Amino acid sequence: MALSCLTRALRSLTLSQPVLLSSQVKLGTLGTNTVSQCRGFLTTASLEQNRTFWKQREKYSIKPMGMKKTGGRDHTGKIRTHGIGGGHKQRYRWIDFQRLRYEADKEGQPFEEKVVEVRYDPCRSADIALVASGNRKRWIIATENMQVGDLIKTSNVIGRMAVSASEGDAYPLGALPVGTLVNNLEIQPGRGSEYIRAAGTSGVLLRKVNGTAIVQLPSKQQVQVLETCMVTVGRVSNIDHNKRIIGKAGRNRWLGIRPSSGLWQRKGGWAGRKIKPLPPMKSYVNLPSISAN
Amino acid sequence: MLPKKPMSFLFSRNVFLSISKRVGANAGPGPRHGQRNFGISRCLTAKPPLTRRVREKVEIPGLEQVTYADRLHFVPGLAKPVFPRWERDYKDPRFFKSPPAHELPLFKEKPCYVFNQRTSVLEGVRQALWLTKSKKISGLPPHLLSLAQMPENQLPDQDRRVQDAIKHARFWDTTEPRTSKEKYSHTLLLNLLHLCAAQRSSHPAIGRRILAEKYSLAATWRRGEDLFQVRGQNGLLQCAMDPLPGVCGKDEVVGTSDHILETFYPVSPTIDLQQVNVYQEDVNCTGFIGDYAYPHAHTLYLLEIEESGFKLLPEQFRAKMVMFSFGNALARAHKLFGTQPRSLLEHPITVQAVGTNGRIFQFLVFQLNTTDLSGDDGIKNQVWLDEDAELYDFAKVRPLIKKKQVKVRNPSMSQLSAPSDSLWRTWSDVSECVTLITAFHPIHLEIFPCNRN
Repeated sequence: MALSCLTRALRSLTLSQPVLLSSQVKLGTLGTNTVSQCRGFLTTASLEQNRTFWKQREKYSIKPMGMKKTGGRDHTGKIRTHGIGGGHKQRYRWIDFQRLRYEADKEGQPFEEKVVEVRYDPCRSADIALVASGNRKRWIIATENMQVGDLIKTSNVIGRMAVSASEGDAYPLGALPVGTLVNNLEIQPGRGSEYIRAAGTSGVLLRKVNGTAIVQLPSKQQVQVLETCMVTVGRVSNIDHNKRIIGKAGRNRWLGIRPSSGLWQRKGGWAGRKIKPLPPMKSYVNLPSISAN
Repeated sequence: MLPKKPMSFLFSRNVFLSISKRVGANAGPGPRHGQRNFGISRCLTAKPPLTRRVREKVEIPGLEQVTYADRLHFVPGLAKPVFPRWERDYKDPRFFKSPPAHELPLFKEKPCYVFNQRTSVLEGVRQALWLTKSKKISGLPPHLLSLAQMPENQLPDQDRRVQDAIKHARFWDTTEPRTSKEKYSHTLLLNLLHLCAAQRSSHPAIGRRILAEKYSLAATWRRGEDLFQVRGQNGLLQCAMDPLPGVCGKDEVVGTSDHILETFYPVSPTIDLQQVNVYQEDVNCTGFIGDYAYPHAHTLYLLEIEESGFKLLPEQFRAKMVMFSFGNALARAHKLFGTQPRSLLEHPITVQAVGTNGRIFQFLVFQLNTTDLSGDDGIKNQVWLDEDAELYDFAKVRPLIKKKQVKVRNPSMSQLSAPSDSLWRTWSDVSECVTLITAFHPIHLEIFPCNRN
């Protein structure tokens, strides 16, 4: 089989073979079997490894799963992101970003969870915490002062009075007093937190206007979201993340970061001091709904 | 592509393609699919895989499609035949697929919480106490401790023989530089059991016991609304012909009804137990068939070793000891008194457990006072737990070299080298522990002669 493959591939390389006319190419692409479709040499490994099947699971589990390294390549094998490759082997812990996920048959009631473990996570800059309540355990992003044994509360009630929340609790934005430091911001209710998840970051709840809330992100940009969006009170853990000393080039390689290309490029307009006005407030409130289309 | 047809004969095909590709960037179709261009870099020739157009399938009822099924090969223009799924008409265990859970005859809507040997419960002993409705008393019962101190329960030349047992397990049982934990903990346990069995001349009741390995246990009980089971294989069980007597009297047993069980809000006590929907209700099995000559579970020996796939922390390991000694007692009680819950057993059932990781020993005595476990009030079971008794500090395989001086105290113990210090230092503890182990064997029958045949 291998031999026949080889000979076929070599035959396709020979000069004597008539070059295909463009019409023939078209015919071939149409799918008729007149032109023999041979695969030729396979010089690369299977590209299946660049797919993220390892991450797609049916059921939530707190067990760390083995990751497959992509090296920055996408499913076609092309470099999608430069500067990724190598590094220590890491395992992925599935974080439950949707803080307001009720246990089965306990819908709609505020619940408390107990912190079982706070630990380092290789896949993100912040620390993660294992919390347990009822019959389930899950990983969440740890806040700054989260300790083992703490009880953290999650509620979706927006009362008339603002709550005095302690750190690590999760509430809708409408329930919190103005000026609260928040993290793990949802931009759409029920979608899971997407903003303010990196180590040491926090946003500020600036004001609440008729059913919406305006939050200042760590980048000083302001976003307007619905007041039912869940948010965690406090600052994300690992606040000294920006003060760590990498020390040598090799440590970046351990982290899976490759050096940049080294190609000399003339400095353009991007280099140098510039003062830009803050971008206007971004609103996530009146998103076109799917049913409207 | 291929705009200059006559020119192509002059060039090798690959060179031509690469040039045209470079010039035309991404315009026009790439090289024929499947053909490789070795002359140029891969990133220039890579292209996304072809997207297949999916044809709409039109099903017209009453109209049969003409397929190429009878031709046995593909024919353009004829439809692809659809054959029924091939079912194997013989039995092959390699390809056996169990039917979905809800079709099995034992399927039930209500889940059952199963504790097996791999279960690592979050709250440890506290959770095990809640599940078994027990009261924990730290330390061993006083009469057991006094038995250990009695000189007639000690072996002749005990210190040396115990040291030999340790040295055998840690140093002599291998050809490798060091023994693995699985190996030395197992060997040490068997060595100490052997020492205990050497006392048969003075304690003839030892002859009425037997060790059973790899037996499988199943016990069922209800706690509140939920159904619980302890199932599966667990350590090495010493079975006896005669039951162990109770540890404490009736008054103390009745006094346990004042004890309030510890709960751990917001965590449910059923956390980390395996939830199954396919199970047998009221399954109770001690692991031995009816007329087994040694029906009474005496002592359960468990090893704290890491196997692939699961690892128990010390607290979780003690919880496992509690659960399995309870399971043994409960299965026996159900066999003796029936599965109907009884609030107070006339003859409490006692099971002992010893757990070890090859260095640290955990001792446990479980007394089953009641099989009525559904409510939180009433009489509780009792657990005496002695945690973390060290047999020796450490056993260092290579000699301790400090400032170019090899520290060996006893020339005859050159192989033991460093640990000899620690062994001597903690010797009082050692002797106590070992006598405890020995005490676990011959004791009770001497105190309570009424049970002896």
